[in-house]
Amino acid sequence: MIRLQRVTKRYGDTIAVNELSLEVNQGEVCILIGPSGCGKTTTLRMINRLIEVTSGHIFVNGQETSQIKPEKLRQSIGYAIQSVGLFPHLTVAANIAVVPELLHWEKDRITRRIEELLALVNLNPREYAGKYPSQLSGGEAQRIGVARALAANPPILLMDEPFGAVDPLTRQKLQSQFISIQQKLKKTIILVTHDLNEAIRLADRIAIMESGKLVQYDTPQVILSRPANKFVHDFVGTDRALKRLSSISIEGFVKPAPSVMIDASNREIASVIGYRRYAWVVDKNGKLLGWLDRTNLNEATSVRETMVQGDIEEIAIPNNATLHEALARMLGQGFKSIPVVDEKGKFIGEVTLSDVEAATAEMES
Amino acid sequence: MNNRSIKRWVFLSILLGVFLWLISNTQLWEIILSTLFPQETRVLHPRSLPVLVWEHVRLVVISSSITITVGVPLGIWVTRPSGRDFLPIVNDITSFGQTFPPVAVLALTVPMLGFGFLPTTVALFLYGLLPIVRNTIAGLRAVPPDILDAAYGLGMSRLHVLFRIEIPLAARVILAGVRTSVIINIGTAMIGAVIGAGGLGSPIIAGLVQDNIAYIIEGAVPAAMMAIIADQFWANIEETFAYSTISSNT
Ligand SMILES: Nc1ncnc2c1ncn2[C@@H]1O[C@H](COP(=O)(O)OP(=O)(O)OP(=O)(O)O)[C@@H](O)[C@H]1O
Ligand SMILES: [Mg+2]
Repeated sequence: MIRLQRVTKRYGDTIAVNELSLEVNQGEVCILIGPSGCGKTTTLRMINRLIEVTSGHIFVNGQETSQIKPEKLRQSIGYAIQSVGLFPHLTVAANIAVVPELLHWEKDRITRRIEELLALVNLNPREYAGKYPSQLSGGEAQRIGVARALAANPPILLMDEPFGAVDPLTRQKLQSQFISIQQKLKKTIILVTHDLNEAIRLADRIAIMESGKLVQYDTPQVILSRPANKFVHDFVGTDRALKRLSSISIEGFVKPAPSVMIDASNREIASVIGYRRYAWVVDKNGKLLGWLDRTNLNEATSVRETMVQGDIEEIAIPNNATLHEALARMLGQGFKSIPVVDEKGKFIGEVTLSDVEAATAEMES
Repeated sequence: MNNRSIKRWVFLSILLGVFLWLISNTQLWEIILSTLFPQETRVLHPRSLPVLVWEHVRLVVISSSITITVGVPLGIWVTRPSGRDFLPIVNDITSFGQTFPPVAVLALTVPMLGFGFLPTTVALFLYGLLPIVRNTIAGLRAVPPDILDAAYGLGMSRLHVLFRIEIPLAARVILAGVRTSVIINIGTAMIGAVIGAGGLGSPIIAGLVQDNIAYIIEGAVPAAMMAIIADQFWANIEETFAYSTISSNT
């Protein structure tokens, strides 16, 4: 789908990208990573010809890009950047409509597409279509940026640190959303990042670069278990076992766990949680509300009074999170288990510390 | 158009109405000025006030129109790749045009173009060019690079980026330059009287020569009102049509 053949970019005496060859198959996520200044952005921008190559060839869909008019090429490749670059004088809807308008789509089709895309990135079309970029939060702006890049349904997406400018919690959410969108759309994606955990979580294959050269191009598992040289070994770090947890979804580790309704009676609680000390508390729709320490509960008190309420984003993790996140959160909060919820906040089960430890030990062996 | 800008346009229309009424009521001027300066035998310039105002307006409108149609494209051109080499020269020439006193410009243009309307227009054109060119360049350069990167990255052509992104984002700064230029022109157009282009400079110069303050007032007050009206007009254009981070929130 995308093929770089001995691509070089020189700026005077500096060689930004040096004889780089890379191939990304259809529907794959390739992540470019490496130290600052190693040529990631330059590589990405040569693909849509925002930067012209000094030598070498780039093929998209079998066609050499130098043979395609730059505007045409770029209209067929989605492009999202860290600073987002939303046009401040245009509404969210008008921002998303840019490429469809360049392609002369009909008005109705553009309107429908805008609604579809806003829904895809989990923003209410009615609320957001008419807003201006200055009225958006960082995370919302990022999502509009992605929606704009996807507007004309390009088969290829180039993203330069798309989740770089937001706080860690928002970043995790955007990553989960990225994964679920990619499962639906199956785009061919090249994404630049600084965050190795992000790379491990999102990538089908990771391309590690060092001063303009490609040093290793492999799946996350192989990069972690068999670094090609000392540079990669050092880059990946000593906590490789921990990092590998980033490539494993918790889905296989979620176990059913007892939950009690917020208005349950003491007898019901006893029958549900048995010998356990803690139980998760849900409302009548199954939404997670908090947890309960049974030792604090006696005849005179109710669940409502005794339970510890919490913001669902802080106490639980979504079911597409990674083992790495689950572990980090349990250690951070000092708990031996963490509840898992679906995207609507409904309680699904829990992941326990001992299971994660067992998984890590298995990988080591 | 929102409520606020409708109000501003209504206010401007009223201002304009008052101005037109005032300059067409020559008797009123005569009564007021004779009361203020009883020692003068004549308080109004021999040529009628509406004619003087008309000459002045004509000078300003024509010279400013030329300045705008030349200045804005010139500013755009030197920020394009094709004209970037000329940026320093254009910068120099336009600043030079303004450090040059307008009387000196007249002195230079008269031998070439003779007396009257034409050399005055040329002088005013040169004189008003700097604020427009300078603001056009500044406005276009202030467009954030990441926004341009996104625009080109999405596949917009240069022309698209210019008209749909750069000019709308720079409009406020460009219009501020136009506003300054027009107001400078209203003041500078006074010198046209020196070489026979008429306008509100005529009573002022006559007043200075004959030591008649009433004449000076007859020329200065309408010119000041014109400047206020022009200022309001361009402020309204800016408010109504140009994007700003503040008005986009409402
Ligand atoms: N326009 C330019 N002129 C000269 N040198 C440049 C230019 N653009 C990039 N470089 C150099 O090329 C090298 C690669 O830059 P690039 O932006 O691709 O790095 P990067 O991997 O994206 O870094 P970062 O992680 O900091 O974004 C750097 O050494 C940079 O200084
Ligand atoms: Mg970069």
